[in-house]
Amino acid sequence: MREGCVVEVGFSEPVARYLCPVTVAAVADRGRQGWVHRSTIDDINMNNRILLKRNINELLARSAEAREVYLPLEGPGGDVQFLPLQEPKELDNLNLNYDQLIIPPKNIGFPQLESLFEFKDGEINPTVPVPSRHILFGLRACDLKGILFVDDFFRKNFEDIYYRHRTEGRLTVVVGCTSPSPNCFCTSTSTGPFIEDGFDLQLVDLGERYLVEVGSENGERFIGEFEELFLDASKDEIHHSGEVKVTAAKAVTLKVDFKEAIRRLTEDDVPREIYEEIAERCIYCGGCLYVCPTCTCFNLFDDMKEGEGARFRNWDGCVFEGYTREASGYNPRRDKCSRAARRYEHKLKYDYQETGISGCVGCGRCLTSCPVNIGISNFIEQLTGLDSKQ
Amino acid sequence: MKNEYIPYPAIIESVREEGPETETFRIVFEDEGMMEGFGYQPGQFVQVSLLGVGEAPISIASSPHHRGFIELTIRGMGKLTRAINRLESGDKIYIRGPYGNIFPFEGVKGRDMYFIAGGIGLAPLKSMIDLVLARREEFGRVVLLYGARTPSGLCFKEEIKVWRELEGMEVRLIADIPEGGWTGRTGVVTELWEEAEPWRGGVAYICGPPTMMKCVVEKLIRTGFNKEDIYLTLERQMKCGIGKCGHCSIGGKFVCIDGPVFSAAGANIEKWGR
Ligand SMILES: Cc1cc2nc3c(=O)[nH]c(=O)nc-3n(C[C@H](O)[C@H](O)[C@H](O)COP(=O)(O)OP(=O)(O)OC[C@H]3O[C@@H](n4cnc5c(N)ncnc54)[C@H](O)[C@@H]3O)c2cc1C
Ligand code: SF4
Ligand code: FES
Repeated sequence: MREGCVVEVGFSEPVARYLCPVTVAAVADRGRQGWVHRSTIDDINMNNRILLKRNINELLARSAEAREVYLPLEGPGGDVQFLPLQEPKELDNLNLNYDQLIIPPKNIGFPQLESLFEFKDGEINPTVPVPSRHILFGLRACDLKGILFVDDFFRKNFEDIYYRHRTEGRLTVVVGCTSPSPNCFCTSTSTGPFIEDGFDLQLVDLGERYLVEVGSENGERFIGEFEELFLDASKDEIHHSGEVKVTAAKAVTLKVDFKEAIRRLTEDDVPREIYEEIAERCIYCGGCLYVCPTCTCFNLFDDMKEGEGARFRNWDGCVFEGYTREASGYNPRRDKCSRAARRYEHKLKYDYQETGISGCVGCGRCLTSCPVNIGISNFIEQLTGLDSKQ
Repeated sequence: MKNEYIPYPAIIESVREEGPETETFRIVFEDEGMMEGFGYQPGQFVQVSLLGVGEAPISIASSPHHRGFIELTIRGMGKLTRAINRLESGDKIYIRGPYGNIFPFEGVKGRDMYFIAGGIGLAPLKSMIDLVLARREEFGRVVLLYGARTPSGLCFKEEIKVWRELEGMEVRLIADIPEGGWTGRTGVVTELWEEAEPWRGGVAYICGPPTMMKCVVEKLIRTGFNKEDIYLTLERQMKCGIGKCGHCSIGGKFVCIDGPVFSAAGANIEKWGR
């Protein structure tokens, strides 16, 4: 097994996936993903590092010299937003123990409004952003899962050049979540509170210090750049990080039967009354879609004044009546019920059928933002608590 | 990497009136190389723009065996399509594409071909009809059943005149409301069934308003067609045409990239709404 490949570690069942920093000798190879004997686990974790909390500001300020650094910054009202660092002073507002960003960081690759091209006197001038090195520092596992899902979506079929350029040169630093919000259910969706792969670096809070897990070469290179700020991790610290993860998972108290919900949806075993009841309560504001880390629907429109203008795209949503209305007036999803159902079927059925991964990352934002208390978690509770055959 | 959202300038070479608020535009890309390299198949569509007004999906009505131009037949239904209808030859328009999948062609050779259209729905089928007629000897019967709400809503009157004269091509027309001295049949397109006898099975291509398509599919199945031999081209609100904006979704599919052509076996008619 080569250095840099992903291995699953476990006995009869895989318990974790690691990026292999060393050549592993003792491997019972079973196909592509080998099973690593227990004795090698410590070797694998060898390149875990330690970052002292008091060094964080220095690390961020210095990395901001050559890159854009996005961070969870707390505003005067206590809201935490993921914003680019403008000046070092803003680091005073850094909050890595936030429960949840109101808007997920999908807007960094897919802004709420962006221009695709400008035009003047019939000449078109594309406004494709230039890729730039940037760090997303302090992501939650669920939000990175959302980003990875959106990455795949924009990449497949016709790759979206705007998204590509906005996300190229990205380094992701997860700070595993130890302070979930009451609406989070990431342990049910297997998307948190810590992430197993797909990250560049992941930080585990050990009190005065963070254990830093390296998830990619990109992450390794970043550490190399600021070598003097990182220490080697001891066996005790690695052990401690495992305990922190277990405690963090226990802190997520909302549990739903996600697997069963997916089964029920993929087998079309959902009583219509559930959708009808949601459709009656929903006021079709679209809040749940805007705050969803994996919703990517958009509208295109032109704006022009005196022969000069631009074509824009902006976020759109499937709950709106006009979303599917055709010019003839015919609307295939005119009734509220099919619009309500679309959202659940998309996330819990079609995404799963098409990609093998559900579009729901268990962040609970839909419930948090909904003025009438509708959310994926309570939809699942209702669905799996009911027997459709009744 | 190609920027799929950028449309290319093209010139309207000629405009032909088809009926009220409906015109056929012959369009040539400004860039000669672009025109030459523009390959498409019947069933596909392009995204047509006027800068500052907007963009819409329009089927390519011409057949790929005619090179050097494409033809689009556009009915004024809203903001953009009405603005396009006001254009004249020499005016500029913007095009990107082609997008979408295609009608099966090679695999259906030797079989009877039924084209069943409603109103502007003949536009996408016309591309296929032209191509089939260019290779007439490779197919069985070629039948067109075509209806519209009013007689003036029937498009491609000139082509229809020519088709009627062709040996081995059968054209049957019908209008819902018999206006302006209409002497043809009155009713909906499924009422043309007896006239199209003998139904020996074959392949059917359908495009029209949603209720019409539903009725026709049901009728074809009752007539003994396999679902696999019935092809529909579906309409949906579209924005991007490339499987990104979400607007044209049906279930886990996007009409713009997985369609617009679906077989009746693949398109779950009951679930069209979702
Ligand atoms: C695959 C496909 C092929 C088509 N081929 C033809 C054709 O050959 N000839 C023809 O006349 N019409 C065709 N249509 C319908 C045509 O696209 C709509 O009439 C047109 O989009 C209306 O745009 P508008 O700006 O004039 O109307 P508005 O009502 O002002 O629409 C605003 C926007 O909504 C969207 N929209 C509204 N209705 C539709 C619709 N029915 N389909 C797609 N997008 C819609 C468009 O993005 C449009 O720009 C086709 C539609 C599809 C999906
Ligand atoms: S936030 Fe609630 S009310 Fe608004 S669209 Fe979503 S479910 Fe409906
Ligand atoms: S038109 Fe945008 S996804 Fe199909």
